[in-house]
Amino acid sequence: MAQKLVIDPVTRVEGHGKVTVHLDDNNKVKDAFFHIVEFRGFERFIQGHPYWEAPVMVQRLCGICPVSHHLAAAKAIDQIVGVDPDDLSLPAQKIRKLMHFGQVFQSHALHFFYLASPDLLFGHDADPLKRNVVGVAMEHPKLAKKGILMRKFGQEIIKLVAGKRIHGISTTPGGVHRRISAKERNYFLDDKEIPSADTMIKWSVEIIDFIKDYHEKNKEFLDTFAAYPSGHLGLVKKENGFLELYDGVLRATDSEGNITLDDVANDDYNEHFYESVEKWSYLKFPYLKHLGREKGWNRVGPLARLNVCEGIETPLAEKEWLAFKAETNGKTNNSTMHTHWARLIEILYCAEMMKNILEDDDILSNDLIRKGTRRKEGIGIIEAPRGTLIHHYEVDDKDRITRCNLIVSTTHNNEPMNRAVRWVANNVLSGQPKITEGMMNQIEVVIRAYDPCLSCATHALGQMPLELVIYDQYGNIVDEKLR
Amino acid sequence: MKYLQTMNKLINIKIDGKSIQAEEGKNLVDVAKENGVYIPTLCYFREINPTLGTCRICTVKLNGKHTTSCTAKVSEGMDIEVNTPELLDNRKAIIEMLYAEGNHFCPSCEKSGNCDMQNLGYDMGLTVTRYPHVFTDKMVDFTPKRMIMESNRCILCKRCVEEVKTKDGKDVFSFVQRGVKTRVQIDYAEEEKLSESEALRAMALCPVGAILVKGMIHEQPFGDRKYDLLGNDILPIVKDKKVLKGEQEKFIVATTSLAGCFGCHMSLLDIDTDLLDILDIVEFNKSPLTDIKNFSKRCHVGLIEGGCANAENVHVLREFRKKCDILIGFGECAIMGGIPAMRNFVPLKECLEESYLNGITSEVGADIIPGHEDIPKLLNNVYPCNEIVKIDYYIPGCPPNAEHIWKVVKNILLDEEFSIAHNEFKYD
Repeated sequence: MAQKLVIDPVTRVEGHGKVTVHLDDNNKVKDAFFHIVEFRGFERFIQGHPYWEAPVMVQRLCGICPVSHHLAAAKAIDQIVGVDPDDLSLPAQKIRKLMHFGQVFQSHALHFFYLASPDLLFGHDADPLKRNVVGVAMEHPKLAKKGILMRKFGQEIIKLVAGKRIHGISTTPGGVHRRISAKERNYFLDDKEIPSADTMIKWSVEIIDFIKDYHEKNKEFLDTFAAYPSGHLGLVKKENGFLELYDGVLRATDSEGNITLDDVANDDYNEHFYESVEKWSYLKFPYLKHLGREKGWNRVGPLARLNVCEGIETPLAEKEWLAFKAETNGKTNNSTMHTHWARLIEILYCAEMMKNILEDDDILSNDLIRKGTRRKEGIGIIEAPRGTLIHHYEVDDKDRITRCNLIVSTTHNNEPMNRAVRWVANNVLSGQPKITEGMMNQIEVVIRAYDPCLSCATHALGQMPLELVIYDQYGNIVDEKLR
Repeated sequence: MKYLQTMNKLINIKIDGKSIQAEEGKNLVDVAKENGVYIPTLCYFREINPTLGTCRICTVKLNGKHTTSCTAKVSEGMDIEVNTPELLDNRKAIIEMLYAEGNHFCPSCEKSGNCDMQNLGYDMGLTVTRYPHVFTDKMVDFTPKRMIMESNRCILCKRCVEEVKTKDGKDVFSFVQRGVKTRVQIDYAEEEKLSESEALRAMALCPVGAILVKGMIHEQPFGDRKYDLLGNDILPIVKDKKVLKGEQEKFIVATTSLAGCFGCHMSLLDIDTDLLDILDIVEFNKSPLTDIKNFSKRCHVGLIEGGCANAENVHVLREFRKKCDILIGFGECAIMGGIPAMRNFVPLKECLEESYLNGITSEVGADIIPGHEDIPKLLNNVYPCNEIVKIDYYIPGCPPNAEHIWKVVKNILLDEEFSIAHNEFKYD
């Protein structure tokens, strides 16, 4: 009999997702979907709020990468007060970047050590009771401790700049509101209270060695599992096309590396993107207008960034990037599972950049805020840990937000993740007489490679209310209507 | 001496049974304070005479009758009760009413950290309101030159009405309409005469975040704001009796994130390496951190992040209530709906069209709105968890402080004594 397999909720990802696999009478896969089951409505309910609330409010989209939302909104709001990214004072730019590198570092560490590593360490068909961070802590305590301390380092950097680890405030329109003191930065450099930035660099190299070793031993799995051609999108540095996370130009390539979107400035993004909607998911599907819905979708995130960039400015990460590129003979890498590897190279890049900025005396400066001429529109694009993040606000002359558009990283990855899920359904599940838990977990393994942040992705509001439940103050249902 | 000349005659009163000598006719709040008895106030502002008595926070019993102490002047023989359990609870109830009545979203409020009402909440260990939130949709007035009047946050204390004047003595603020429709209106012409520093004084005078000066916001970093400076002061924590003590080798904990952002779960991990010690006593069951998708056994504690925004959230929350002995709502969303509950003010049709049909990057002619058997139906509003099931403990914050979370959990599991400092107890 035809049946439907359901994975609900998808676990060890951030947020709420669900997978359905539809089988025919012969257990052949007919179709497979990755549904995003949550919604928020930020784009509408932020309207009518004063523009300066945006960076504080929208970071509540996501508790894992709040800094990315805070900064993307801040970059947009800077423009509202007439300050372009390049006009920001150098100290403000460096302080913001420091926080952003801390953010990407901690988020990547969280993803690798807490969420993804159980699959790699125990195998995707290991006992599900053990297949989690607790299992890692029990069986690989040294690795777990390093992971925890790496995440801690990133979180402490965020706290330094924003006052708290999660949902802090650092930016003010046109700059940042506090400088760093010499004593504060030494905490991260002197290796006394917490392991130093140098230690972070060392551990980052170690963990890259781990994944390279894992790759040697599991080459076929990492290279081919859910590998499929796709476009890739990310920011690169305006001047040399190098990896860039805070402010650059948008570049996209196809699966062969041919450029499909070249060095587009922030302000022009809406000339190039459409978002389509499907009935079965609250998450939209962005694509490049000129390529169309079928061909114009792109992966974003670590793998895409390392594909579209032309190099990395820090020496150790550059070396690892070259080795990574050599693996595909310099060609575009379409191996989904290599995203883990790419993520760890970015961890190293962030560690090196944090050290560079911490040692830069500019962050001690009091030159923090710039002012300009008021504008009506601001667009902020940033590379969040999971990929390209776009914030766009329109503000009236009374300071009210009148329109808002958010395209978050995981939204770009919506189509790629659905393709990946279908790949596993077709290649692993289809036609099997008995579907095991391990097979089902492989679907989640491939979703986890994207480190999807479904919390972020669910900012858009969905469906009209179809269910209305009224409760009294004691929690008893007074009325329940379905329509 | 001038002081002696103007001093009134001394009279005898009793506060909470203690005999006190005080100057006749002096304000009761001040007399109590001088004698080491703290009576919380909110609208009370010494410069305003006669005192306002609008907020009722300082309610005490004066000769057996409920009275606001800021409007009472002491006289011979007064018997005043301040800190009886009943009065403490009355005052807390009033603060809760103010929170429930207005839209007090501390996480994104400009006044957070400098807000008198927020600090009173901290002082009273307020974690949740016993009244359901109203989620009002009053006017937010952006028209004035320097200011914004956010009526949804206004508690009608009348401070601004009485105290803020132009240099030529004209009123800037006034009450308009009556009863529940009463709101503060700004006289635009008079407001224009205020200097920036006068406008900032009005903002500071406002005990909540109703009066905002355009652009003057979020300037002080966390830790430097007015009430952050209370830092390590210990707060009174109202402890429930619910404590599990048993022979268990390990305690079973389940967690879930409903309509939240996962920030509370991140905070759960923010005890860093102490987490490794926690794992000696705690075993995680159903949780997004594990691969246990359905409860495999009964749990001692369930940690709930997020409120309820769709049918699925309600279903999961009810399941947690069934399968867990004790439920903890952690974070503002679980407690009062949080930022997602801001959609409660907007007609859903508008949200829908904005997101899927009229967005800046919507396709031309877009006409699809998601709706499918595999995605859950949405609720008309975002509901706090305690409007769906009984919640045993609340830990406020956006997200709650990591130490605070684990102190509460350890207290429940191991009956460990704990205290919470000001900097571990926040609504933002």
